[in-house]
Amino acid sequence: MNSRREFLTQSLLNAGALSLLSQKLFAESSSNKPPTRFIFIHKGNGLPPQTLVPPSFSAKQLEAENRKDSFAVDLDGQDLPEWMSPLASHKDNLTILQGLSGKMCTTGHHTWCSSLGAFKANERLSSIKWATVDFELADMFPSPFGHIELACFPGGGGNSRGNINGIEKGFSARGPQQPNYAFGSPKVAVQELFKSVATDQEAQAQYQLQRKVLEFVASREAGLAKHLTETEQPKVANYADAVQSIRQRNGRVEAMGDVLRQHLPQLDARYLADDISTVDRQVGFTEVLLSTLISGMTNVVTFTVDELGTNYTGLPGIEGENVNQHDVGHGKPVRNVEATDVRKKIRHQHMNVIDTIVSRLKSVPEAGGTMFDNTMLFYFPDNGETHHSNGSEWPFLVLAGDNTRLDISRRYIRLPGYGKPGHKTLGNWYTTILNAYGNPINHYGSPDVGLTIDQFGPIEQFPA
Amino acid sequence: MNRVTQRFLLPMIVCALSPSAWCLADDASSRLEIPEQVQGVLKSRCLECHEGDDAEGDVRFDQLAQLQLDSRLELLNSAQDQLFFGTMPPTDAPQLTNEDRLVLAQWLRSELCAHNASQLDKKLRYPDYGNYVEHDTLFNGRIQEKPFTPARRWLVSPQIFHERVNDVFLLTDSARQNTFYGVTNPFVLPDHSGVRDYDIAALDGGHLLVMLNNAEWISSKQIFAAVHFGRDRRTLEFSNPQDRWYPPTSPPAFVAIVNKSTGPTEQELVAAVHTQFNCVLKRDANDSELDRYLSLLKSTIELGGNTEGLRQMLVSVLLESEFLYRQEFGAGQPDEFGRRLLSPEEAAQAIAYALGDQGPDEELQQAASDGRLVTKDDYQREVQRLLADEGRFRGPVDPGLSGKNMQSHVSTHPKLVRFFREFFGYTGALKVFKDLPRSDGYYQNPSRGTAGTPGFLVKEADRVVDWYLQRDEDVFANLLTTRDFFVYHDKDNKTGQKIIAEWKEAYARLKDTDWKTDPERVIAENLDFIQSKKSLRIIGGHQTREFLRHMYFFGETIGKGRTPFTTVSFAHGYTYNHSPFYNLPPTPNPSRYSGVEQKNFKGLDDEEFWDYPVEQPFRIENRKGLLTHPAWLIAHSGNFHTDPIRRGRWIREKLLAGRVPDVPITVDAQVPDDPHKTFRERVEAVTGKAECWKCHQHMNPLGLPFEVFDDFGRYRLDEPLESPENLIARTTKKNGADTYRTKPVSTLGELLGTGDSKLDGRVTDPFDLIDRLAQSDRVRQSIIRHAFRFFMGRNEMLSDSQTLIDADKAYTDSSGSFKAVVVSLLTSDSFMYRKDVN
Repeated sequence: MNSRREFLTQSLLNAGALSLLSQKLFAESSSNKPPTRFIFIHKGNGLPPQTLVPPSFSAKQLEAENRKDSFAVDLDGQDLPEWMSPLASHKDNLTILQGLSGKMCTTGHHTWCSSLGAFKANERLSSIKWATVDFELADMFPSPFGHIELACFPGGGGNSRGNINGIEKGFSARGPQQPNYAFGSPKVAVQELFKSVATDQEAQAQYQLQRKVLEFVASREAGLAKHLTETEQPKVANYADAVQSIRQRNGRVEAMGDVLRQHLPQLDARYLADDISTVDRQVGFTEVLLSTLISGMTNVVTFTVDELGTNYTGLPGIEGENVNQHDVGHGKPVRNVEATDVRKKIRHQHMNVIDTIVSRLKSVPEAGGTMFDNTMLFYFPDNGETHHSNGSEWPFLVLAGDNTRLDISRRYIRLPGYGKPGHKTLGNWYTTILNAYGNPINHYGSPDVGLTIDQFGPIEQFPA
Repeated sequence: MNRVTQRFLLPMIVCALSPSAWCLADDASSRLEIPEQVQGVLKSRCLECHEGDDAEGDVRFDQLAQLQLDSRLELLNSAQDQLFFGTMPPTDAPQLTNEDRLVLAQWLRSELCAHNASQLDKKLRYPDYGNYVEHDTLFNGRIQEKPFTPARRWLVSPQIFHERVNDVFLLTDSARQNTFYGVTNPFVLPDHSGVRDYDIAALDGGHLLVMLNNAEWISSKQIFAAVHFGRDRRTLEFSNPQDRWYPPTSPPAFVAIVNKSTGPTEQELVAAVHTQFNCVLKRDANDSELDRYLSLLKSTIELGGNTEGLRQMLVSVLLESEFLYRQEFGAGQPDEFGRRLLSPEEAAQAIAYALGDQGPDEELQQAASDGRLVTKDDYQREVQRLLADEGRFRGPVDPGLSGKNMQSHVSTHPKLVRFFREFFGYTGALKVFKDLPRSDGYYQNPSRGTAGTPGFLVKEADRVVDWYLQRDEDVFANLLTTRDFFVYHDKDNKTGQKIIAEWKEAYARLKDTDWKTDPERVIAENLDFIQSKKSLRIIGGHQTREFLRHMYFFGETIGKGRTPFTTVSFAHGYTYNHSPFYNLPPTPNPSRYSGVEQKNFKGLDDEEFWDYPVEQPFRIENRKGLLTHPAWLIAHSGNFHTDPIRRGRWIREKLLAGRVPDVPITVDAQVPDDPHKTFRERVEAVTGKAECWKCHQHMNPLGLPFEVFDDFGRYRLDEPLESPENLIARTTKKNGADTYRTKPVSTLGELLGTGDSKLDGRVTDPFDLIDRLAQSDRVRQSIIRHAFRFFMGRNEMLSDSQTLIDADKAYTDSSGSFKAVVVSLLTSDSFMYRKDVN
């Protein structure tokens, strides 16, 4: 492919292929083969590439790292950076992937849907170009509820939400100009996701009443929409369709009630409170995430563990502090703890979350193995390499089970630096994942117009 | 026909076809017949590039007839867009004659309309496309079509939604709430400069998800009020201690059902349904609605009991899409032009929502029910009454700005201020994050509970707008050219003067005492005097410290012949420190007087503070109008740089009614780094190429003169080249700015597009540019066009020509009264008439 024209043509062709694929996969999903699950965990304030370098690297390896040469190292025998210590027992499943760039994204402080969509997003819905990669995967591996997004919302900054405990626009997108909505607290997530299996009689009656009301509203709005002009019709029809689709989704979740009851999130009141620390919010969300995956309610969860505007509370060692991540990004210490150490604490907390997820999934038997065998987890920054990022690097941690279709586990992989021959972008990486799991798209994501090398297609070395 | 007219020939054609612009569906078959004349145009003007396997862009017209319907319509839509926006044929290829263009455009349009598939019509309804309706044609008076607005649903704004929630709870006057704990506003207006609230938005699944939660909370509070009606709130228990609010009254129909131990009667059920319809939709349920709701209510009561069953009915009404739309369909017999007048009830709502966020007041409702809201005179009477009413709409311009340290500016007519803040787009400053050190430590980004520095700046811009709206003379020119601004000004002029008089008196009396060495004695000796001055908040806890702080503060302001700001900088929660963004001297920071009471206090370093003008607005040097206000300049800047392109684009589109094509997707809007060049030089280096200049010529010459202001809005003649190799000195100040080598900024630019040869031409600086813009008829008319969009919630069509001409005339005839424009627009046919269009 040597021109934008060809690229666009290919993209269009692939878009057609995608919709066909979706139907095919739906048909396949009725078989007994376990689905593949994907967990996207992203963080704010950048993820500095140097912090992912194993301290046990040899001088030669460090030189290559600093030159940003391409190389791969078996993690067996390497020490992980201290903040990654919770992942020590998962090293066989771990990939530290360095060298991807993301200059086709919005970078800097806030990035909205950029890191998952590989396009320049902003707060305007019109900037959402297409479904983010997590939604593409959710479409490929359909589930009763569909995609689920959980978010420790930013309460301040240029990306602030008014109510961080509610259901608000998230960081994923369902399609062009269609934001996704994320659950902002474990409480609201549990209430919404598990309402069909509420245990007490009153709650159950409540659910039945809600069913009745939705049925009524769906019928009323659909009836109204029938008689409208072309311009006016979508204003009611979209709403009616949305009610109907919630009813259908509720029906699917309701049908799996017995399974759901076995996997209700076990959370005490502390995690279901409205006034909840950031760390407790993460812990609560982790339980919700696990319950929804293990029960089969969903196959794809996106989890915003924090964003630059998330004021951090509850961090071990500085529990009483309300950590302003923007200040930390500018090197400001928090109660005598240096900013770099605050960052480590934050990342370490994220690793605890990931350890909980991976360990729990490894404990659930599935198809002769464990549920984790069919799971991929991605941990990455929402804005690239640092606080004021420019997208020159976009580090990823990947944890993948044995049935992964990528051959990258137990490795530290550094791809060629920005602009060098063989350099790869977020677009290449997402294309690789989509292709590996059956979506033949030629390239996912916007092109980086600053790159002169061939930048389209998957990373050929990665598929198993 | 001149070149400009030629260039826009097609836009005129397409729009002229629009009564307006929507097409009718028919059952045309999918078979394509290309008329000979069209074939001829395609052959002579298109096929050279778009034929065969190697066709440009893989766009082929030689296989048009063989394409499947979807693909064919996609191609025809693309061709229609290219013709309309003038991007095809390319400039280096033979151009279409006017006749060819017309033939092709009409055929494309007829084919697309036959399948209800014209995408262009949809695009033209979006704000970005408002200026594609040709300006001169709108104002030349030749359009004869009678104005109207398509019958429509208009999604409520976030503010109207909030007021509607207040209405559901029947809250009036001071009982109305600014926030509701359990309500998330499902609506967000786009952030761009310009009119943001259009009638094109549709409810979607996202809105529904939010509304499901909102309806649960609202209905629970309605029920709570009914269950506990008449009880002493001190005896009540709340499941969530943080959520203790509930409405003070409850409709008797709800109280009757929840307090009944047996099933409600039919009459009670009917009353409850009508009551909730009136709370939410402001009308009774019609017969068919009543039937359906009664059936629902009976079944929910059977399942959940009286209280919960009733609540589910309340939820169902709250989820009516009608609750979230303004409905304007018109009523009665259509006139000879197919238009219907708004029904009196619709008219009452339309007028109320045009001027505020709440529904109609009693007089408006009465006028509607008495049949006195039908004629233009009726509309005019009510609009003028409401514009003259200084109490009805009084309130904060933007409650979202209010936080722990600042309250939004209060206006008699916040909605009129809101038009200008949307039009200028200076609220965008709240969305641009800045680095503290680059501001020399003065800039505070918004965070939880505070809108930070941009919040103050936006409020001060609101004040400028409201100041000139209150005077209501030459409003547009004044807003563009004023040299008078508000900065800080947390007290009105009279209160401020009184405070300063007291402070000066106190300092004169006490400055020669032993206040530094024996403050306690000085306080004791002057206790009655100090207590008699309300502005001296000294006596009480820590009075020695407070006294010393006051005296030090007075000493380096009044003592140096300067007037201090009317709030002491050590006041609790003090956050005023943004004067440097107007190039004014700083004011003392809150910690400056910390430790004055300590024995080892070493005194204060010498610093020059602002001689505060108590009486405001006041003149500021090197500023002229809102385009030089820091809020506007920051709103149109990036995180680290100015944004001359966006500043220029704003002027082109908002003041000159011009158009700039969207950034092509292959363009990465990056300005290259170069430590030896100013930002302007770097922008010019990257946008000067022929293919870039095609668009940038419409923006750069208008935006670059504003390089005399940096990205914090500070006036400058030299630009620091912020690169490590240009570093001269590191700052010694906490969060201070480093010093870099500088280069002089160029302020030259060029104004083209006013249509007035006396105004068009090279400009020396932004002030020269602004002066010319303020004199331009086109600029005045462009602002009128945007006002039209704001009050009508849509782009103007050619059929709105008379409405716009009348509004423009109302403005000029009234010596520049914006209220005259509002009256003209709200009594126009465009506002009063609705018509069904498909």
